[in-house]
Amino acid sequence: MPDAKPLIQVKNLNLYFGNFHALKNVSVDFHAGELVGLVGDNGAGKTTLIRVLCGIHKPTDGEVYFDGKLVKEFHPKLAIDQGIETIQQSVGLCDNLSIARNFYLGREPVRKVLGIPLLDFAKMRGEATKVIRAFGLRDNVSADDEVERLSGGERQSVKIGRAVEFKNRVVIMDEPTNHLSVREREHVNELALQLRNQGLLVIYITHDIFQVHKLADRIVIMENGEKIEDASTDKMSAEALEEVIRQGGRVVEKMES
Amino acid sequence: MTFLRQLAKSAGFGSVVGVGVMLIAFTLIDFSGWWTARTLSNVIHFTSILGLIAIGQALVIISKEIDLSVGSVYGLAGIAFITLEPSLGVPGSMAAALAIAALCGLAQGILVVWGGLPSMIVTLGGLFTFRGVIYVWTGGSVRNFSTDAREHWLTRLFGGEFLGFENALLWMLLMLAVLSVVLKLTRFGNHLLATGGSAESAESRGVRIDRVKIATFVICSLMAGFAGIITLADRPQTHVTIGDLLELEAISAAVIGGCLLSGGRGSLIGAVLGAFIVTSFRYELIALGAPSSWFITFVGIVLIVAVIFNQKLARWAGHNV
Repeated sequence: MPDAKPLIQVKNLNLYFGNFHALKNVSVDFHAGELVGLVGDNGAGKTTLIRVLCGIHKPTDGEVYFDGKLVKEFHPKLAIDQGIETIQQSVGLCDNLSIARNFYLGREPVRKVLGIPLLDFAKMRGEATKVIRAFGLRDNVSADDEVERLSGGERQSVKIGRAVEFKNRVVIMDEPTNHLSVREREHVNELALQLRNQGLLVIYITHDIFQVHKLADRIVIMENGEKIEDASTDKMSAEALEEVIRQGGRVVEKMES
Repeated sequence: MTFLRQLAKSAGFGSVVGVGVMLIAFTLIDFSGWWTARTLSNVIHFTSILGLIAIGQALVIISKEIDLSVGSVYGLAGIAFITLEPSLGVPGSMAAALAIAALCGLAQGILVVWGGLPSMIVTLGGLFTFRGVIYVWTGGSVRNFSTDAREHWLTRLFGGEFLGFENALLWMLLMLAVLSVVLKLTRFGNHLLATGGSAESAESRGVRIDRVKIATFVICSLMAGFAGIITLADRPQTHVTIGDLLELEAISAAVIGGCLLSGGRGSLIGAVLGAFIVTSFRYELIALGAPSSWFITFVGIVLIVAVIFNQKLARWAGHNV
């Protein structure tokens, strides 16, 4: 069950890119142990909101609280250090590096040799091998192989395996099942639920409301940079939520007036 | 075949083949001119100098940038080393020359990263700016070391010989070993390879790509400055055109050695072998009695052939390039 106190609290967030108002006064809470579906059409602001949470964009104004503390600095490194892991569609793995090197990128373990800190390849290889076996990569793929060898599903598995391995508190998945086969998609969705059951906050971005409705505890819908709906999945059906998206928030305005 | 494919996966493999083909060709064409002590000693000396610069250049190319200013930085550091010696002494002027080189790299790195400017433009500006400083500073005149400065132990440590090997060669091999370890076996090296492979992915994993790139520009300029110091410690006489066009030779060496301008792949040993190929062509043409102006044409041809060959080789080995 989600905690009463939000793990991430976004308050009156605005973000401009030049003159473009990308996020408009967005306020939303996220709790630990919760799987939240973040839904909306292309350009709705889902990914932009997430990019604030993982430290890529700095908001123009408004506040973000993490674990009750006001976030003052925004950088991907700080977000990762806080245990916020983002799994993005096309970003996160370097094709030219081995799976083991990618796995530990940004937090490489080192071992001192004659006082010089050198990469601890034994550990990197060992852990990465364990994870890629557990996540069902082909048997002939080794942790020393470059990522360019992997299929789309295998890449996604490596990223999710990495998120699980590093004891994170928040896992943000941006369209995690795009370009995946049916079986791979089910596998990824199972993993998302597993993470939630372990007490993590999982934010799942997609535009497939029906798929995420089955998984999520709560759905947040965005449109034109605004949050237009925030409802738990046992209160609103997928069809009703789809109607909200189709109407582009006009339903909500009507209800409010 | 599988073994060969495995070998071909490493970025420097093409240049090993290149060196083999070149040595066979030179031996067949001009055995008596090529295999002479004079030709070989010249080739080794200039391979060492160019190798130092090419190693730095290779690191910058691996980070998916380019540094066109290395020839001018090489000249500027060398001239600072000679010109500042009367007031600072040999150790002082050497430190000052390296500091100047490092500053050149720092300034350009900052402009590229924080200014968001293409490194091609920034370092082209650097090429002209630092060359201009050389002209103004020396007033076009030639400077020499005093006898004392020539005999100083530091001058001899960088310019002399050890057990029959030129110190330049030993320094180059030392830097090659150190920086190869840094690139392949350290955190910084992993971040550098990742930055060149996919800056966006590296950043999303918390790699400070801004710092990585700035550090790489500083290392590259330091290597160029160090090469300038070694050149002038060996022959302590300046001239204003010192290092002219050296940037193009250094880039050629790195590219012949298997560095891909698309970033993320390259080999420092390959860069040194590339420097060996470029330098060998120069001295083989001299040995053949060909006009020296042909040299640039040959470098151009070798460069293009090498790029085609390296790319085919990389694809054959299974890389997406």
